[in-house]
Amino acid sequence: MADELYLENIDEFVTDQNRVVTYKWLSFTLGVHVNQAKQMLYDYVERKRKETSGAQLHVTYLVAGNLLQNGYVCHKVAVVREDKLEAMKSKLSTITSVHVYSIQKALLKDSSPLYNTDYDIVKSNLQHCSKFSAIHCAAAVPRTPPDAPRAPAQSPQSQRDPDSAGAVNGHGPPAAKAPPQQQRGIMGMFAAKAAAKPQDTPKESKAEAKEAPGVSATSSKPSIKNNIMNNFFGKAAMNKLKASSVPEQPKEEKEVVKPSIAVAEPEASPNTVAEKPGKKAESARIQQKDKRSKMKRVDRSDDEEERDPENVKKKRKRIKQLQSDSSDEEADVPPSPTPEEERAPSPPPVPALKTELEPASTEGSAGGRKRKWKRVLKSKMFIDEEEGCMGKTG
Amino acid sequence: MFSEQAAPTAQGLLAPPSAEPPTFPRVPVLGYLDCSQPFQLGERSFSRQYAHIYAVRLAGMRPGLERCARSQWGNDIVLRKLSELQAGEKCCVVGTLFKAMQLQPSILQEISEEHNLVPQPPLPKYIQPSDELILEDELQRIKLEGAIDVQRLVTGTILAVYGSEQDDGRFLVEDHCFADLPPPLPWNGPSSDRFVLLASGLGLGSVSGEALLSTQLLVDMVTGQLGAEGEQSCAAHIIRIILAGNLLSQNTQSRDTINKAKYLTKKTQAASVEAVKMLDEILLQLSTSVPVDVMPGEFDPTNYTLPQQPLHRCMLPLASAYTTLHLVTNPYQANLDGVRFLGTSGQNISDIFKYSSMDDYLEILEWTLQAGHISPTAPDTLGCYPFYKSDPFILTECPHVYFCGNAPHFQSKLLQGKEGQRVLLVTVPDFSATQTACLVNLRDLTCQPITFSGFGADNED
Repeated sequence: MADELYLENIDEFVTDQNRVVTYKWLSFTLGVHVNQAKQMLYDYVERKRKETSGAQLHVTYLVAGNLLQNGYVCHKVAVVREDKLEAMKSKLSTITSVHVYSIQKALLKDSSPLYNTDYDIVKSNLQHCSKFSAIHCAAAVPRTPPDAPRAPAQSPQSQRDPDSAGAVNGHGPPAAKAPPQQQRGIMGMFAAKAAAKPQDTPKESKAEAKEAPGVSATSSKPSIKNNIMNNFFGKAAMNKLKASSVPEQPKEEKEVVKPSIAVAEPEASPNTVAEKPGKKAESARIQQKDKRSKMKRVDRSDDEEERDPENVKKKRKRIKQLQSDSSDEEADVPPSPTPEEERAPSPPPVPALKTELEPASTEGSAGGRKRKWKRVLKSKMFIDEEEGCMGKTG
Repeated sequence: MFSEQAAPTAQGLLAPPSAEPPTFPRVPVLGYLDCSQPFQLGERSFSRQYAHIYAVRLAGMRPGLERCARSQWGNDIVLRKLSELQAGEKCCVVGTLFKAMQLQPSILQEISEEHNLVPQPPLPKYIQPSDELILEDELQRIKLEGAIDVQRLVTGTILAVYGSEQDDGRFLVEDHCFADLPPPLPWNGPSSDRFVLLASGLGLGSVSGEALLSTQLLVDMVTGQLGAEGEQSCAAHIIRIILAGNLLSQNTQSRDTINKAKYLTKKTQAASVEAVKMLDEILLQLSTSVPVDVMPGEFDPTNYTLPQQPLHRCMLPLASAYTTLHLVTNPYQANLDGVRFLGTSGQNISDIFKYSSMDDYLEILEWTLQAGHISPTAPDTLGCYPFYKSDPFILTECPHVYFCGNAPHFQSKLLQGKEGQRVLLVTVPDFSATQTACLVNLRDLTCQPITFSGFGADNED
């Protein structure tokens, strides 16, 4: 019957694959409660020993109990080989549990294979390591991503909304959020960066999901003019913004993220302002307003998407691969270089690095396609300030 | 006793698989309040001198000491400052102790060129018979002699001495007293068995892997995977785990990168990186099942001076996703279900151990409680933040559970105070060396050690 399947499974694991089958490994592999796994192991041992007397099976047991030691009643939990089981049981004054810990073909010299087996199986099941456990804790809930990074994640998002809307008070909901978020802009950026790292994947998806509705609401507004805010977005925000940009087809916005510098950009509004004063290139984003900006169609979608994973992975990398669409950009960019020269107030070494979002002239923002902020590294001269930059950002 | 009621079903799992095995809900924490705000530093400025901390310490403890002195030696004793002393007059003076030790490592001696000294190697104890005690107050200092145990006391203790000044300028002590136990807190403990697991010195990242299986067994037992059903249901009564420091091993502290040439160390990763990843995984397993408080210790990646600030959550990305993980300061103070916990990761106790003749960690722990100060040797021999407004290490309320981590072995004692204080003193042993953790029962303030073991090549158990 179905119950017997586990016997065959264990048989296969132990004899054919020559594994060390611990109760925890079995529980994860077969998807059963740990206690059931222990009982299965026991059952298997019993049957196997009955049928084939020459079974080459070595079993380790877990014994736990109370023991008087140094004047204290000590609770002892030990993994013992079968031959030492009775000796250990006799040492304990009270036995509180005995069960099979593992089965393997070979005699174990020490307990490191047991540890390794358990370590490996837990490592591959980290997200639900307590799924088959006998204790369930109601309080152990993961923080929801917006909460976990403590609002900074939210600020970039919400900041994006006003930005996309252009005017701060463009829309009710985003507008309301705008002022506080803007204050938190810089902090938000930092936080977003910090948060983005561990949480890029979930955040991105969430962010995108969130952004989409928010942005579409604002899409109608020409956001253009408010580049001032642009600089405060964190990378994560940028990613999310990308997503939102897709729905808001008419314009794509790019945000220039200034990790630490407020770019008092007078918006080269129609232009994408890209600047990255000596900081990680990634953080610099260009904000574009398509409406006004005649040129740039930020095609962040495509490139950004590709870029995104790399951006995400290599947050600290400041140099992105040079994009080959310089030709495209040249046309659009003429106005940009000038405003772009905003330097951070802090005295970074010659920033010289500009990142611009690639004009989406060719790609065009396909509606419905998630756009990711893509940072295009313009082929400008840059000073390889890696050490410095790393130091700075570190 | 933990899991004694599990005995009847002990062998229950030595049977063929039964029907749906039970799952026990973790007993929730009824009330948790983190009281370590005094130990959390916001903006830190190191521009002040350390004299201020001694000044506020003395000012903060003086009233209590004067009260104790009066109750011990009579209401009519004369309390004098050192500047008001008159030769031969029996009086009581409250001040800070300073122990002049010859062997005390002194940075000035080390760098002094005229001595050309090789830096002294670290010794287990720095006491010598020739040490002297000096009492200092706000303005003056005076040498002490007489009925006072020079070897036992350490610098930084605030005490009251009763005696008289001699002609040679020394103060002859007839008796002395400490601040004694602080006032008791009301008891609101739970009425059913609830356990808190105290463990310290996990020592991840060490070269030897012996303690790894024991650590895994600890995690498994607490998360309810290990043991028979009875034991698992008892483990569900563990409401919290407190990890008291030294999560990383001392091996991760090697500073090769400083001493070796850069081309040799350029691509090497600090040992602590790997160790912290391992710690993250262990904490994740724990956090999915039980609330965890993580205190930093001597070898953990946080600041060196006391009070140590919590580990940063960015180092533990997997585990800090759970609300059950709490990264807390060292020392740590909290109200758990009405029971006040106060403890450190052991640096204060081990520092006193080095400069005092007291050998027993439990004795030292009790002594700090009697002296009314968590760490009197800070900032003299133990790094400390230069407080200037108030000294947060002064004990103002008597905790119910007072522990220190990274002790050589497990000890516990229930101390009864004169004003009805009941304190459970626990020295939490170093897990990487002893594979022992402690279970404190909040209902009756008892403590039981738990030992984990695997089997090694040498076949000993």
